[in-house]
Amino acid sequence: MIDLRNLSRRGFLNLGVAAGAGLMMPGGLIRPALAAAKPLAPVAEKDAVIAFGHTGPVTDEGWTWSHDQGMKAVQQAFPKLKTIFVESIPYSADASRTFRQFVSEGANMVFATSNYGDFLYDVAKRSPNVAFFECDGRHPMDNLGTYYVAHWYPTYVTGIAAGLMSKTGKLGYVASFPVPSVYSGTNAFLMGARSVNPNATLQAIAINSWFDPQAATQAGTALLDNGCDLLFGIMDEAGYLQVAEKRGAKAVMWNTDIRRYGPKGYISSIVVDFKKFYVEQVRQRLAGTWVPSTPILAMGAGVDRDAWGETVPEEVRKQADAARDKILGGWSPFTGEIKDSKGAVRVAAGKTMTEEELYNWNWSIEGVKGL
Amino acid sequence: MHGFSETGRSFETGRAKVAPGTPPIVYLKGIAKYFPGVIANQDVDIEVMPGEIHALLGENGAGKSTLMNILTGIYQPDAGEIIIDGYAKIFASPVDAIAAGIGMVHQHFKLVKAFSVAENIHLGWAETPKRISAQALEARTAELAAALNLAVRPEARVGDLSTGEQQRVEILRVLARNARVLILDEPTAVLTPAEARELFRALREFVSRGNAVIFISHKLDEVLEISDRITVLRGGRRVTTEATADCNQAMLANLMVGHEIVLSDLRARKAEAAPISAEPVLSLREVTVRDDFGNVALNKVSLDIHAGEILGIAGVAGNGQKELSEVLTGMKKPLSGKILVDGRDFSAAGGAEIARSGIGHIPEDRLKSGLAPALSITDNTVIREYKKPPVSIGSWFRPGAATALAQSIAAAAAVTVPDFSMPVRNLSGGNQQRLVARREMRIATKVLIAAYPSRGLDVGAINTMMRYFVELRDQGVGVILISEELEELLNLSDRIAVMFHGEIMGVLDTAESAIEDIGLMMGGRPAGALAQTSREITS
Amino acid sequence: MSGRIQRLPSAHPTVALLARAAAILLALLTAGVILAANGADPLKLVAQVVKSTFGSRFGLEDVGLLVTPLILTGLSVAVGLRIGAWNIGAEGQFYAGAFAATGVALFVPAPDFVLLPLAFVAGGLGGMAWILVPTLARAYADVSELITTLLLNFVAVLLVYYVSTGPWLDPDGHALATTARLPCELPEFWGAVHWGFPLAVLLTVLVAAGLSFTRWGYEVRVSGSNPQAARYAGMPFRRHLILVMLLSGAIAGIAGMFEVVGTVHRLQGGISNNFGYLGIMVAVLARGSALGVLAGAALMGIILNSGIILQTQGLNVSTVLAITGLILFFTAIGDELSHYRFVRNETASV
Repeated sequence: MIDLRNLSRRGFLNLGVAAGAGLMMPGGLIRPALAAAKPLAPVAEKDAVIAFGHTGPVTDEGWTWSHDQGMKAVQQAFPKLKTIFVESIPYSADASRTFRQFVSEGANMVFATSNYGDFLYDVAKRSPNVAFFECDGRHPMDNLGTYYVAHWYPTYVTGIAAGLMSKTGKLGYVASFPVPSVYSGTNAFLMGARSVNPNATLQAIAINSWFDPQAATQAGTALLDNGCDLLFGIMDEAGYLQVAEKRGAKAVMWNTDIRRYGPKGYISSIVVDFKKFYVEQVRQRLAGTWVPSTPILAMGAGVDRDAWGETVPEEVRKQADAARDKILGGWSPFTGEIKDSKGAVRVAAGKTMTEEELYNWNWSIEGVKGL
Repeated sequence: MHGFSETGRSFETGRAKVAPGTPPIVYLKGIAKYFPGVIANQDVDIEVMPGEIHALLGENGAGKSTLMNILTGIYQPDAGEIIIDGYAKIFASPVDAIAAGIGMVHQHFKLVKAFSVAENIHLGWAETPKRISAQALEARTAELAAALNLAVRPEARVGDLSTGEQQRVEILRVLARNARVLILDEPTAVLTPAEARELFRALREFVSRGNAVIFISHKLDEVLEISDRITVLRGGRRVTTEATADCNQAMLANLMVGHEIVLSDLRARKAEAAPISAEPVLSLREVTVRDDFGNVALNKVSLDIHAGEILGIAGVAGNGQKELSEVLTGMKKPLSGKILVDGRDFSAAGGAEIARSGIGHIPEDRLKSGLAPALSITDNTVIREYKKPPVSIGSWFRPGAATALAQSIAAAAAVTVPDFSMPVRNLSGGNQQRLVARREMRIATKVLIAAYPSRGLDVGAINTMMRYFVELRDQGVGVILISEELEELLNLSDRIAVMFHGEIMGVLDTAESAIEDIGLMMGGRPAGALAQTSREITS
Repeated sequence: MSGRIQRLPSAHPTVALLARAAAILLALLTAGVILAANGADPLKLVAQVVKSTFGSRFGLEDVGLLVTPLILTGLSVAVGLRIGAWNIGAEGQFYAGAFAATGVALFVPAPDFVLLPLAFVAGGLGGMAWILVPTLARAYADVSELITTLLLNFVAVLLVYYVSTGPWLDPDGHALATTARLPCELPEFWGAVHWGFPLAVLLTVLVAAGLSFTRWGYEVRVSGSNPQAARYAGMPFRRHLILVMLLSGAIAGIAGMFEVVGTVHRLQGGISNNFGYLGIMVAVLARGSALGVLAGAALMGIILNSGIILQTQGLNVSTVLAITGLILFFTAIGDELSHYRFVRNETASV
């Protein structure tokens, strides 16, 4: 476990040194330091306004719900400050309007819980005294940090279970957009599966949304119709789990424990927890010590696999969890040789992908189709 | 049971005896209905007894159609009661009225144009099976049509039918629903005299079974011939109800309009009037035209119109008159044959070009094609002259100049317009027609084609129209008057051409022709055959 | 004294305007009562909306940015209505325009003063291309443009998703599926509001003037109001139909160009923000009048912006949508009611 304090800028630098010394901890924070930014002035708790902008509804029982739990933890830790949030913000100029509105309502800190890119940067640039944090972001600024979770490790672990449990070796993936968080998900999952079944393949369908239960259900159905017998995805809700349950297939989910929508089909889920992270960042902002950082929460410190589903055999659990223990002990499964879907070697034999490379993964490995 | 006031006495019709105390089949009591700026009906009391043909007489706008729309559940009265067989009823919709045995054949047909005849017959009918194929619907329709002796084509789309055919579909639809009271609104307008007599026979037979007919008309001779009693409406109120036996034409005309009308012969011309030209100003040479559905609507028609004459076109609606007026005005191109204006070939000319050459056109349905109902009065009155100064300079349109022109046209038409930016549909039908007529007369330097110009107008407005045509004739303009009113044609035309099935059956000199001859030609008898057959017909 | 209510075929403009105002007030009042019943303080919310919209430069800039595409998509639909065509495809033409403008901006190496006009023309042509098939189908085969334009919307959305997540994907944008940031952008007119705003207003005024003060505009009015009357008067109905529908598509395409080159700077799926569909509402609010589009778009922009403000005040999206719906619902009722007037029986005459 990484102590949350390690996620601060200071802790990050320490880890960086450690990584440089060859003692890298998987899921650690190995992203380049930002140009030294001056901390923003402290804010009294009673005057503080902390804003959250979400991509989906807080009732999604998934991604947005998890971030909303984080906001509630902040409110509990600092009862006198004011939290505001807007849900279901589209990826259009409306996002800029929402973030601008946060600022004009006096927000001291704005968390965008999805990648809003320029829509957020345009506002951040014009609001230098407001701290911004962009989940899944890649362009830190003097007042804008980025954060994400190293989901590829628990994904690899569940991939092993998937490889053992799939009869056909054909895995299905309900994707949102062809973006790095999707590539790292499909690739890690298939690599986990191939470690136990070298013939496994993965078929992805992109539905152009993070939250569209109907489209996700249709995509899940189509994948099963195409011979897949095990579904994975990156949806903020339980749509394709219900499809799998109904069709007698299996599914690995994202964000939260939603096994009640398909107890038989449920294998596990990539669960996320931002509570500690948010409380810590807000604490720094109030104290006047906040400077932008770019943490990626490690497995066990913000992201992990969920407890195994009831139909996962003991043997499968053991084999998968053995890999999890190895990863927690410092081993990385993302070591060459790794070929892309066109057969070209992208990671040479013996070479291990850095966290930066994993975070920005934007190509499919051999065996992934549809992205 | 209601007490039946003075008009509720028992009486004998020629066909069915009604016992004293029998309630009227329909009793309208104190009916009132208001529309914007109009009292359509007020204090109207009418009783219709079983076995009776009851005529409803009145000018256009006297409130006949509104009253019948109330009886058939299309409108709800603002005051008064509807009592059927002695029981007060409220008709929330036409379905209620149909259930009470009241059926109406409207002047403007209430048919779904996009549906087939069979579908229209079965539409909204409780006896229509829930699931049925189109073929079965058509078979049922054909059966009904045969039983009721009404020739219709079950598979045809109603929108493709002629007006006369549509009326037959309407009557069939009503009779199929076991109507006990049949309301007919101007039913003979689209029929030949022979077809009208056929209809009358059917109506008498219908009432002899204890049913009733309400017969709406403004044709006095017809009303006197067919009805048992006559109710006259004027200005939305009931003037009187009389037994037909006690009435005559002059008296009814007086009751209808409130003053004596004189059917005058307008063919006489003033000394200074322009003479009829020797050369035709507009000619058709063997012109063939297809209608919108590809059927031959005009078959090798040849016709000449001379300057300074009025040529009447008689015929039952739907025999090619529409296509005739369209081909004459460039709205339709002839398939073959030639159109000559002053001897020059205009066969390929479009509407704008023909209008520019001095041919005006009062179209059959002014709201459908002569006007854009939603646009302002100004926009509508300048439609013939918007390309010319002062309304347009180059490609610029000048709203101010357009309004000035509209004002002068409205003044010539004696139409008072409070606001020229008001949509033209806000005007009454008569005023719309006056504006259209005046607008067309301004450009009709050679010929004016008037299709059914008096349709839907009251006596006053019709007289105005006729005066306009005489005025044009006397200026040396040729007028083509297409009409279904034989009297109108006889009063006005110098010659009358009779159309049947897209052909001209003959052109008669009005002074030497009898109404019966024209009627026979309308039924398809060529002019040459008249002499031999006139004896048997008149006997 | 007895009287009655009667319906007029057309409403008096002043009455219609008053009915509009009353409808909006009534909708807000209803929304306020419902909110108060749920424990919110409606007056505080209204104060916040007014303050955030009109009391700050941020707010006004936001409205300006929102109104720009709404004016154009509203104008696009309103122009189509003038010839009697329902362009439900402003959404698709918006995407097509944005797509074409992005293509020019990304791949034509030229200085801004060349690139911007070129992108403008490309946007217009893109929108036009997207309505071309529905236009010809309507003009020559009488195929309802309602369906064809609507269906092409989905094609356009998918096309933009495809290029922005595939061939044109930003090589270092990483997470958001967008194209690279465009090398050129519309210059700022007032704060964040770019020159698209005054140009949209200018375009609207030009179109309105064209319809009122040219022979072409007169013919379009007549043709749209009653094609039969146009045929009767010898006007080239089909030519006008084609021209006006293409114009309608071009205007929506220009809206897409302004949005991508002026506001968003990257092409991506979802860029239209439903502006195409909202344009239908703007045109309806404007009662089909070209100049009315300006007022309709302003009202729509303020409503949408208020929606964002209300969300930051803790109302969820559905509540905000419900309030927007209420306003439109009451407006529709108000429009209908403005056709009625009370008349005393005595004054009526035949």
